[in-house]
Amino acid sequence: MNEVPAVSVQEMQRLLSAELSLRSRVGYTALLLLALAMTIVVASLWLTEPTLVPRTQIAFAVMIAIGLSWVAYAVWVLARRRVLLAGHRVLSARMAVVFSALFVIGFVAIGLSDHEQRAAFTAAGLGVFMLAAAVGLLIRARRQFARLLERRRVLELELGRMS
Amino acid sequence: MQIENDRRMLEDELLVTRCQLGEREAFDDLIARWHEPLWRYARRLTGDDDAAAETVQEVWLRVLRGIARLRVQMSFRAWMFGIARRVVMDRLRVAYAEPSVDSVDLSTIPDEQDSFDVEHDLSVMHEELARLPVTERDVLVLFYLQELTLIELADVLAVPIGTVKSRLFRARHLLRRNLIDKGVRS
Repeated sequence: MNEVPAVSVQEMQRLLSAELSLRSRVGYTALLLLALAMTIVVASLWLTEPTLVPRTQIAFAVMIAIGLSWVAYAVWVLARRRVLLAGHRVLSARMAVVFSALFVIGFVAIGLSDHEQRAAFTAAGLGVFMLAAAVGLLIRARRQFARLLERRRVLELELGRMS
Repeated sequence: MQIENDRRMLEDELLVTRCQLGEREAFDDLIARWHEPLWRYARRLTGDDDAAAETVQEVWLRVLRGIARLRVQMSFRAWMFGIARRVVMDRLRVAYAEPSVDSVDLSTIPDEQDSFDVEHDLSVMHEELARLPVTERDVLVLFYLQELTLIELADVLAVPIGTVKSRLFRARHLLRRNLIDKGVRS
């Protein structure tokens, strides 16, 4: 048997670099937001169209199911595979706030332009919930980030005193 | 010794905190610090270089994916070796379903400062260590070679401290007997 690992420290760092990819985390956050937005838009159309034929209703239901599946998948990846660390959470929450705000503004503008008014305002209303959740997540993420920064400062001080 | 141990734990906690913040370099430092101890632990338990390499890679994946949820109160090395142990045991499940605990008088079991001379005749000892059943090998490697405390061992093995002591007692007894059989002075 060898006395040194078959896979060196440098190789292991390289092998695990994909796990730590920021781009991948941003990508899954974007997927989550887009899938959520698509689901909200389809749900708003369905809720505001009283005279849809059954075939269209089935199509809407399938599209909502697909949208929710993508949401669930992205949440699972971000919670279990490309796990969001404190800094990533702040970035993802900021993305969510900006995206949700644009979503609300966009659908309010469409509603005011008198085109698909009811569906647009319904989507904007649901978007407000998405925006509120995003703001809540951002506040929590920033608090956690600040707590960890403080812990790092204290530990560095303690270690400095010991040396 | 105690101060050095405290310092190592603080350094670990600082690295974990930096990882939890999302600092990329902290993960590299963590891997550089713990890769070899992890590999040595996995190799001692599996007795095979390839299996140890695969085990360590799996352990690092789980560490990276779980570090955000690691609580401040828990020692990083106990948590990491706990993961490593679960990965190894999954591989050795059949071998691990082996002999059970003999009844042991816990009052006869010494504490952490036990003076059993693990340095004595290293080559024979390592050989005999590799021949021990995996349960006994596991506890001896973690206690003597990875220098985990009894409390950390209890965390890693997910058993009470009394059970850790009884396993240590049995493992040392078994190793000592094997060494005597080989003509090594205990």
